[in-house]
Amino acid sequence: MTIAVLLKQVPDTTSKISVSGGRVDESAVSKWSMSPYDEYALESALQLKESGGGDVVAITCGPARAAKMLTDAAAVGADSLLHVLVEDLNALDSTQVQAILAAAVSHCSAQVVFCGKQAADTNAGSTGPGVAHLMGASCVTMVSEVASEGDSFTAMRASSGGDQRVAVSAPCLFAFDKGTTELRRPNVRGIMMAKKKVAETLGASDLGVDTSASSVSVDSHSPPPEKPPGQRFEGVDSVAVVVSKLRDEANVI
Amino acid sequence: MAYEALDFYDIDSLLSDEERMVRDMVRDWVDEKVIPNIEEACRDGVFPDEWRVDLGEMGILGAPLKGYGCPGLSYIAYGLICQELERGDSGVRSFASVQGSLAMYPIWDFGSEEQKNHYLPRMATGEWVGCFGLTEPDYGSNPGDMITRAEDKGDHYLLNGAKMWITNGTIADLAVVWAKLDGVIRGFIVEKGDPGFTAPEMTGKHSLKASVTSELVFQDCRIPKDRILPDVKGLKGPFSCLNNARFGISWGAVGAAQSCFNSAKEYALSRIQFDHPIASFQLVQNKLAWMLREITKAQLLAYHLGQKKDDGTWIPEHISLAKMNNVDIALEIARMARDIHGANGILDEYPVMRHMANLESVKTYEGTHDIHNLILGRHITGIQAFTREFTE
Repeated sequence: MTIAVLLKQVPDTTSKISVSGGRVDESAVSKWSMSPYDEYALESALQLKESGGGDVVAITCGPARAAKMLTDAAAVGADSLLHVLVEDLNALDSTQVQAILAAAVSHCSAQVVFCGKQAADTNAGSTGPGVAHLMGASCVTMVSEVASEGDSFTAMRASSGGDQRVAVSAPCLFAFDKGTTELRRPNVRGIMMAKKKVAETLGASDLGVDTSASSVSVDSHSPPPEKPPGQRFEGVDSVAVVVSKLRDEANVI
Repeated sequence: MAYEALDFYDIDSLLSDEERMVRDMVRDWVDEKVIPNIEEACRDGVFPDEWRVDLGEMGILGAPLKGYGCPGLSYIAYGLICQELERGDSGVRSFASVQGSLAMYPIWDFGSEEQKNHYLPRMATGEWVGCFGLTEPDYGSNPGDMITRAEDKGDHYLLNGAKMWITNGTIADLAVVWAKLDGVIRGFIVEKGDPGFTAPEMTGKHSLKASVTSELVFQDCRIPKDRILPDVKGLKGPFSCLNNARFGISWGAVGAAQSCFNSAKEYALSRIQFDHPIASFQLVQNKLAWMLREITKAQLLAYHLGQKKDDGTWIPEHISLAKMNNVDIALEIARMARDIHGANGILDEYPVMRHMANLESVKTYEGTHDIHNLILGRHITGIQAFTREFTE
């Protein structure tokens, strides 16, 4: 069994994001990391591989810098790596990205796909369901863990009425939420092994995907509005004012 | 905010992917495990056992050693590991230095095949902790006159004497102990539980508080004959271990200095006095510029020394210069950073006073600052100035 894990490199959640000329300034991002939900997908894929055999192929679609993230995936145990090189991911619409990833999954002959429920940069959440649709695969979202028995899989997912256990068979796609699973840390042995795992690098056209006409274009990015400054009150005389503001405006007392 | 290491001359671009990945792994671990817990560990005066387990799991103990379950990384990777650990705390780097360079290294270089196979794999995983017994209460810079003696009793050796200032001593499963056998310094492996061996912890330190420091006491301590390190005699044994540990310290000091620099920079940018951030004042900028200048020089020294270690063109005096210089500037940067933090600098909310207190030890151990100057003085003039007796 081959498990394909879809990974996206995003600005690290601790990095400062700045906007310049109506666009997020990517050159000012100090650290790029694997999107956090994707980390849970990768960890779960590695655990499933360890319990049931098979191999894990890590797939990303993104610019050259994303190669580092694939090597990081190899260092924790991904068996093979596929990099679909797209220099400007922002120029593609989500349908095109889904088409590339579905073609990449097919290129790896994988019937089972793990991914994060959404990327930490766009937060769109469309990739998993979109890829599943193109694959004609069952799609389970908000997954916390997956177990397999033969060709059938059971996924735990949180729902408003409690945890749901969902059974599906391949082809299937699981989009992971943050679960209780602890992520593994790389070690020196893994890092040295990763050196030997060379990513297969393809272009979108190698996979037969047309990326010429994006149907959606982003007009501009803007930073969230700055918080209004706080109000300061000094002296005993202001107690009544503060109390009335807390009671009537903030409604906290 | 993500930690952004000061790297003014882009040393990062000189590293291999593997070295960078190892560095990032340790950096992330320090951010996640050491920095949030270090003040508590210092207050309690303990080295958390969880850190031992993690260091073993990451596979970084005995980093540059090859074979016998050891990682086999480059010396530059070993240096980067030390740099990141010491950014967290000198005590954490001390644990790794002692385990790798002072306990594993002599077994790896001077041990019998049986000793290597028996001890090294378990030490590389952190299952067994090692320590290194050279310094004695009355013999610090002058270890050649040590008192500890070993006697050949036919079917065993008998050790008598005491060692002091031994990192990891009380928590160690084994000690590499240097003692005189028929007047010649030899290395012995003493295990926890050997009859006549105790390792009481030293208390009351104002420095390296999250590191265990101990005495090693040998009172008619019996050890089997196969515990002597067969392949080395004289001070060359302990000194070759110290070369590797000192190499690691020259990188570690950079990490401590980077931590102090970052804290001082952030504090100076956010602290308002006279209606402006203190970072906007010339005297503060002068201090920050001096820190940047000295850290950059220290990084270049460490990196070039790492290359020389890796290609085998180093001499011990190169290591003396880097250890001495880098610890010296790190301590000065820690003091200056404390100054920039004003009164806040004495609080454990900021790392600077802890680094400062730690670096006072680091300046003294593994060859004091002055001893390294004497090593360089001898190198320059050909005249040794350690002792007034003119004998070599």
